[in-house]
Amino acid sequence: MLSFPAPSVYQASKCFVTYGVMGHLEPKQPPTKGKPWATLTSQDFIHSADLILPQEAFEVVNAALLTARPAPEFKKVTMSLQDIVTGPFFAEYIKKVGDVLMLSGGRRGIDNVYSLKHGVLTLFLDKEAYERAGLVGKPDGVKGKRGLKPRWVVELDLKGNSMFTGKKGFDRLVYAAKNALNTPVTWLFCNASSTTPNPDPLAQHSPSNVTSTPKVSQNINVAMPVLHPEVEFLTSGHREDLESFSTDIYEWLSLVRLQSPRVRPEDQIDPFLCRYQAPEAGQARLCKISWQGFLTPSWSRQILIDVVTAIPTNTWFSLSTTTFSKGMARDNSECTILRSPGLGGEYIMWEVRGHE
Amino acid sequence: MESRKPKDQPIAAVLLGRAFEPDEANRIFTEKIQQRPLFLTPSSPPPSNLRAARQRAREKKIAQRKKALKPKPLSASQRRKLGLYDVPREGQKYAIFEPLHNLWLGYMREVLGGEIYTGGEGAAAKLASAEFHGAEVEVVRSGCVSRVGIKGIVIKDSKFAFEIITRENRLKLVPKEGTVFRLEVPVPARERDGHQETATAKQDQPSSMVIEIHGEQFQYRSADRASKKFRSHFSKTL
Repeated sequence: MLSFPAPSVYQASKCFVTYGVMGHLEPKQPPTKGKPWATLTSQDFIHSADLILPQEAFEVVNAALLTARPAPEFKKVTMSLQDIVTGPFFAEYIKKVGDVLMLSGGRRGIDNVYSLKHGVLTLFLDKEAYERAGLVGKPDGVKGKRGLKPRWVVELDLKGNSMFTGKKGFDRLVYAAKNALNTPVTWLFCNASSTTPNPDPLAQHSPSNVTSTPKVSQNINVAMPVLHPEVEFLTSGHREDLESFSTDIYEWLSLVRLQSPRVRPEDQIDPFLCRYQAPEAGQARLCKISWQGFLTPSWSRQILIDVVTAIPTNTWFSLSTTTFSKGMARDNSECTILRSPGLGGEYIMWEVRGHE
Repeated sequence: MESRKPKDQPIAAVLLGRAFEPDEANRIFTEKIQQRPLFLTPSSPPPSNLRAARQRAREKKIAQRKKALKPKPLSASQRRKLGLYDVPREGQKYAIFEPLHNLWLGYMREVLGGEIYTGGEGAAAKLASAEFHGAEVEVVRSGCVSRVGIKGIVIKDSKFAFEIITRENRLKLVPKEGTVFRLEVPVPARERDGHQETATAKQDQPSSMVIEIHGEQFQYRSADRASKKFRSHFSKTL
């Protein structure tokens, strides 16, 4: 009904906290709707993912995730936009295979960045490139700075019926790729589907394959807080309690992810140097598995499903995924899910989103 | 002067009496105020005689004749209604203007002379006053993005726009504002000491001279541009 106007000044990233219950998982039908799953798939390109577990659950997870499934792979390739939009690459990967993710190098507010996801090609251009390209787009960025050097976003659906050679809209894209946006850039390429066309049109551009093997750190001794919120926090009047509880847990989780010495039980640091005090509820040994690379949101959703089905129901775990940074200030968006210990299958999800 | 009391004298006489001597004040009062001539019909024409009337009639006739001979320029709506500048449907063919384009290429090579190989300031000065009817232009950059990519021969170079005929025989009117046009002039092979260039040397030379015109600074009629001195301005929009 009432929609707030788009912010015209820089806004800091916001963190949205959700408390919910994960339903029963049907192994044949992976869930796509609903809160933890939809949020995971709504992220665009994932840079790193961390999984934190109690040490006791490591064996099971190792068997289910690390040995059963291959490590995610992606490719680094140097191509120009023209190679993507014309030729065998377009016919095979974009029209037939369809589910490819690509991201070009550069920072979004400064350089020209191109991305391809679900067949939608998005070009983030500065004013000169936009005026030379001749493709219709929308203004990008805060409205307050429009007069000086506005930036533009052009979105094109390459899977549509009108995207064939000979059609006017597609010919304009080809003209732009040939004349205005014709410098070759480095791309990260990930084929999310299981089919690879043969012969591979990517081979002529000599891609370099990169595998994001998971890094495992085991037997981390930490001081553990209580991971389950009190029942009264969840009632309507106790919003501040829930807020402080979730902030503390998020802080603790972030420090564990960084493998910071501050969460060790025997840590003695001068409070002048660091004011953080680890929670005193108990000790535990944890293990951490982390992946870094160009990962797809469907992969992270699959990881969550695998972990939930693999480990016993009263064990807790935490999965966090971080995306590539979108702006100059390196603000990434992140999604962290913590399943609380207990039989209820309850979870807390922190979603950090930049405003752009 | 009768010595009356100041109350009985008129105010003008009193004031004059303050400024001048009594005799002088009296003289001025009588001559310039009491006996001042009052014109009843100040702009009455001089009485006409036949000769002056005939001369006046003759001059008026000559002026009217001159006015009829010098027509006023047409207004924009009159121009549109008359359709003087419309190209007829049979004439809207790219093939008709190709010979004009070749003529223009020859003209451009002649205008640029030796500077076609080097380019730079001298070439720019010559180009600024050159004629562009018949040039093959391509819109390379524009604030209105749908204009980018229009390519054809210029058939009309007006103050604010180029009228271009494209290869598909379509007539396009492209405003010059915020638009950058690109022209290419093929460079003839250079002859040195009367010997023809060898094949390898020819590859090193660029095959055409590329000219980019910023339409924003070019918004003058081609006739006015001949005498215009172009100075380089800092452009806020580029």
